[in-house]
Amino acid sequence: MSTHRDRATGTPAVAAGPPDEYVEAEIQRLLAEDPAVAEQGITVVLRERGLMLYGEVESPHRREEILRRVAERFPDVPVTSDIGVIRAQAPTEVEELP
Amino acid sequence: MIRIAAVGDVHVDEDVVGRFRPALDELPDCADVLLLAGDLTRHGTEAEARCVAREFGGLGVPVVTVLGNHDHQCDQVPQVVKVLQDVGIRVLEGEGMVLEFAAGRLGVAGVKGFGGGFAGRCASDFGEPEMKSFVRTTNESAEALGAALRGLDCDLLVALTHYSPVPDTLAGEPLEIYPFLGSYQLGQAIDSAPTALALHGHAHAGSERGTTPGGVRVRNVAHPVIKQAYSIFHVGDHLDAGQVSRIGHSGIRQSWS
Repeated sequence: MSTHRDRATGTPAVAAGPPDEYVEAEIQRLLAEDPAVAEQGITVVLRERGLMLYGEVESPHRREEILRRVAERFPDVPVTSDIGVIRAQAPTEVEELP
Repeated sequence: MIRIAAVGDVHVDEDVVGRFRPALDELPDCADVLLLAGDLTRHGTEAEARCVAREFGGLGVPVVTVLGNHDHQCDQVPQVVKVLQDVGIRVLEGEGMVLEFAAGRLGVAGVKGFGGGFAGRCASDFGEPEMKSFVRTTNESAEALGAALRGLDCDLLVALTHYSPVPDTLAGEPLEIYPFLGSYQLGQAIDSAPTALALHGHAHAGSERGTTPGGVRVRNVAHPVIKQAYSIFHVGDHLDAGQVSRIGHSGIRQSWS
């Protein structure tokens, strides 16, 4: 059964907004389809205490843009971010394939 | 032995230009060729392709790529391909090429590929036109890859795709989205030729290693998976008589240190 993000406050889910799963789906699509973001590799989880975003992106700028867009769309939802920027150093080992 | 560097899903735009370059400048010392497994850009615009050209052009080793789904987003594929070709990056789609090195001839066949899922749990060419179109796109892509692989005359054969040919390298992704990440038909195409190595990207949360049902080694080189500018594979010890003593040596080892 779906629960609502405001359930900790005791607000009835129906009155307070859409079920979590729809919010997660909307954010996932926002991140993939918004031309300013276009990220498909971010995992979105809505928990009682707010929204958790994790995954990896190619630049700090993209991480900021993701957080800005999500905050814009869901201004009342607290967001915790654990989005990393992927390292781009030269490899130190090779793989030998027989 | 041929030294193959590979990475996919670099998603270059202005904000990424320069991040890969220091590592890329080392390539002539440690690799014979760089293979890119698609999703070079974020939205497939000509402007983003120019960023890719700045970052991955003029490297001192040949660069061969396929495109990914992101590179199709803005319907500017011809412009993107032209920008890349203009800096010497070869873009493969349903075709192959042979590169000559001292150790032998490397054949690379590439397609973007498409989704559909894996044997026993895949989409079928049946029902609504949209569904048939989806599966036929996959079939046509795989057929083109197979024909390109079988048509190459070379000493070492590599398949390059964006979508995955096997489920092995998707481990870490939600099972529910596997049909959007790859298709078994690509694996079947790879197994239809004496392929030595198959490289792909697309599955950011996947894992590095797998094999096709026919035993061909598959590597997911998506940048978020390998977490370095590129991976390097030494393939084809048999090509170099001087390296015969190393046959049987496998696994990761230190190099050029």
